[in-house]
Amino acid sequence: MDTKENNVCNEQVYNMLFNSNSKTIFNYIYYKYGNEEKAYDTVQEAFIKLWENCTKVTPEKAKAYVYTIANNLYLNIIKAEKVRLKYASKSLAISNESPEFLLEEKQFHEKLENALNALPENQRTTFLLNRIDSKKYAEIAIIEGVSIKAIEKRMHLALKTLREKIDGI
Amino acid sequence: MQENFLARWLNNELSQEELSKFKETNEYLTYKKIVDFSSKLEAPTYNTEEALDQSKINRNAKIIRLNPIRKKLQIAAVVLVLITGSYFFINSLDKNVITGYAENKTLTLPDSSIVTLNSVSEITFNKNNWDTNRNLTLEGEAFFKVAKGKKFTVNTSQGIATVLGTQFNVENRTGFFEVTCYEGSVSVYFNGETTILPAGNSFLAIDNEVIITDISGVNDTQTPSWLLNESSFKSIPLKYVLNEFERQFDTKIETKNINTSILFTGTISNKNKEIALKSICAPYQINYKIEKNKVLLYLENQTK
Repeated sequence: MDTKENNVCNEQVYNMLFNSNSKTIFNYIYYKYGNEEKAYDTVQEAFIKLWENCTKVTPEKAKAYVYTIANNLYLNIIKAEKVRLKYASKSLAISNESPEFLLEEKQFHEKLENALNALPENQRTTFLLNRIDSKKYAEIAIIEGVSIKAIEKRMHLALKTLREKIDGI
Repeated sequence: MQENFLARWLNNELSQEELSKFKETNEYLTYKKIVDFSSKLEAPTYNTEEALDQSKINRNAKIIRLNPIRKKLQIAAVVLVLITGSYFFINSLDKNVITGYAENKTLTLPDSSIVTLNSVSEITFNKNNWDTNRNLTLEGEAFFKVAKGKKFTVNTSQGIATVLGTQFNVENRTGFFEVTCYEGSVSVYFNGETTILPAGNSFLAIDNEVIITDISGVNDTQTPSWLLNESSFKSIPLKYVLNEFERQFDTKIETKNINTSILFTGTISNKNKEIALKSICAPYQINYKIEKNKVLLYLENQTK
């Protein structure tokens, strides 16, 4: 393959990288800190850094590169706010469940959201990347820059803590 | 339970045996619910296309940070600096109090000394270093009740009155400078000479001619008469009496064939125009005519 065509400075490569990764970065930072504005800015900043260094970063490494930058940008700077997650409206729209059931669902949503907010930031991020963004453990490991084993551990602990919290133990 | 059991379950890595065993536990239902439910959650809306466009704008414009909160903070900081700056600036400026026609004002200085301003007067002083520098400038007339402390100086265009803590009155009008001491003593600096004025005495300079009089005869009280809405005079040329009348009643006086340098002794009311006019005119058999904001004084035999 021609190296020039495959360069991040190439508009198409850049677009491709942006389209396939920016939403995950946005969500990732949002899960971490619960601040949409910061999440959006992080995406912008990470990709500007990538563009500035487009000659030095190969497309294969670009993904890990932007995640690392995103990770470093707000490290230790902001205190986590509450993560507000919408419950997918599609699941409610098609349901013709009883009001009792819907109420129960709503209550469960609230409980889950509270429990999620109470989780340590790294467990919450891992859990939500897996559940909402359907990221495999291996992928999350790349994003977080840790081993797959560590991600499994976080996942396990996250589930355990969530259940304990929701069942009120 | 095995290490990271739940993570493996979520990844469908459990053996048939492990799974059926897990399904029998009490917790299984909640776990199932958490997993099902959480996959239906949604992160905040994010428009990739818009973000990409924005990214290209930022990329070219090299706007590194898009941070509205920080921007607001910066604006807030600038505003705060301006406000505090102007606060201190305004505070460091001299304070100015002015009275108009027929108006008196009493104010308390930072050291709780009291100043009462007579009509058409103005004082200027600096609030900030008042404790170390009790210095003020007077235009017009004022009565001072000075709290004990450092030297208290009243500067006027004609002379300077200095005290350590007493009650005194200073009047500084065109061609007329008077300091009256009611308590303690006041040092008056006038025309290069310093005079110590004891209580109950008045230092008067009319057209640079100095007269020191004992005022206890005219006024028994411990305060100047104008504080009681009267104006007292002792051997004062009539024109100054008329000037005072003009200030107190916001009225113009015109004279016809009258010698305004004749001396006047007496007290006029600052409240009732008629009575005041009578007290001025009667001793000299002067007639008066009142029009709107004007009074005409004339001698009877010469008009007509």
